[in-house]
Amino acid sequence: MRTNVMLQLVLKDWRIQRRTIILTFVAGAAALTILLLGGQTPIVFGTVLFFVAMIFCACLLPMHNIVNEIKKQTLPFVMSLPVSSVRYGAAKLISTVGMFLVLWLALLCVALYMILGRHTLPNGAIPMGMILMGFPLIGSCLITGTALVSESEGWATAALAVANSSYGLIWYLLISQVPSLTKTWSGPVAVWSPAALKILVVQFAIIVVTLGVTLYLQSRKRSFI
Amino acid sequence: MTDYAIELKGVCKSYPFFDLQNVALRLQCGTIMGLIGPNGAGKSTTIRILLGLVHQDGGEVNVLGHSMPKGQIDAKWDIGFASEDMRLYDSMTLGWHIHFIKSIYASWDDGYAQLLLKRFGLNAEQKIKGLSHGQRVKAALLLVFARRPKLLVLDEPTTGLDPVARHEILRELAAVMVEEGRSVLFSSHNTQDVEQISDQITFIDRGRVIDSMDKEVYLDRWRRLRLEVPDGVALPTLPGVIGVQKAGRLAVAIANAFEEHLPNAYENSGARVHAVENMTLEEIFVANVEHSREVKA
Repeated sequence: MRTNVMLQLVLKDWRIQRRTIILTFVAGAAALTILLLGGQTPIVFGTVLFFVAMIFCACLLPMHNIVNEIKKQTLPFVMSLPVSSVRYGAAKLISTVGMFLVLWLALLCVALYMILGRHTLPNGAIPMGMILMGFPLIGSCLITGTALVSESEGWATAALAVANSSYGLIWYLLISQVPSLTKTWSGPVAVWSPAALKILVVQFAIIVVTLGVTLYLQSRKRSFI
Repeated sequence: MTDYAIELKGVCKSYPFFDLQNVALRLQCGTIMGLIGPNGAGKSTTIRILLGLVHQDGGEVNVLGHSMPKGQIDAKWDIGFASEDMRLYDSMTLGWHIHFIKSIYASWDDGYAQLLLKRFGLNAEQKIKGLSHGQRVKAALLLVFARRPKLLVLDEPTTGLDPVARHEILRELAAVMVEEGRSVLFSSHNTQDVEQISDQITFIDRGRVIDSMDKEVYLDRWRRLRLEVPDGVALPTLPGVIGVQKAGRLAVAIANAFEEHLPNAYENSGARVHAVENMTLEEIFVANVEHSREVKA
């Protein structure tokens, strides 16, 4: 019986990148523990550090896992294995986005524990927090897709720059243009307003479309390495 | 099962500044073919096409009975590929790479891998970034050889290696061929390496296969004739002679289809034949490329 090569490629990436994931998780979780100190400054400081860790990892994983494979010429080694460019692309999407998703979920659990279990922030902050956390996830998919399809460090860096510079703008627009979010975020109850749900659905759709387009473009390639 | 490990018919691929034109190639099962060409001749493109990594614009590619690029996954289970530009993961050990390849190929031969570790003087515990260039090439070849593939495709594997490392690798390649039915396509611009181990030679230049035949036939058919041409004597144009270079009274004729009567034909024309010399593969390669470029021009 033949081995599932895609699975082996995903596991390989996880083994190579595990240090990055663990370090980012530790940094993100440590940032959240700052919230335990209480007071406005630790809350702002801890929250900012938490998102910095997450955004850092959203950039680092695609650059390490995809761009480095091209730059350091390990791609011919991988492509000598029984795998097509489409399956290679799928394996890279699963491993890169998967790694970030696991980290994202782990940090989400820590954040929810800090809010619900340790009451460091009011429960009303949960919808806003979920939405804000969605953007680095989109950014990760966007950078991963661009790096994979373009096979270029330049394009991947451009996608990274676009994603990173848009977080601040999008968060500002959310806070200033969606009053239903800001009205309830300091309340004792998490309010899932229609606007909040709509934003989450749109975020999910963007992720699905980004991954789908990436796979489609990968399947159209006629020259690989 | 086909008699050919590799069969390319009329393969074309166009790039903005390079065209692979009508490439035809056949590698019989159980033989070693040396693919020789200058830098940028199209060796690597041809190899990438036959691995399914680059899709041809036209023509047929068949590898181990699989049509490429469609059958690339099935074909690659039995292909071992290593190229000069292939690198392993710097931060991981050779042992980690062995474990990774072993997890994919059921045909992995642990005993042979251990033997190669010893023969190549490699340490499985060492990280790739700590290895020299020669050791890295050997490590990559170990990962290919120990999976016991039916077809080995090696794209300039000996480039940049010292003579000792080159000798070790060529010796191992020869040993690998002891197993019946194994085929090797070996690309290089180092004709010495190719001459040592190949059964068949294919010359490629500017995207075209310019000649392909058995090595012994090449060495047998190509000759260099050193002539003295007295004043007033015109050398005849003889079939099988692809070029004559004159310097004063001396001339050198290169024959690519040498026949015993050629020296006599020159003598009969009034020239004197001083020597009929065998040519090395490198000399044949250079003469072949120059002739092909002249004809094309």
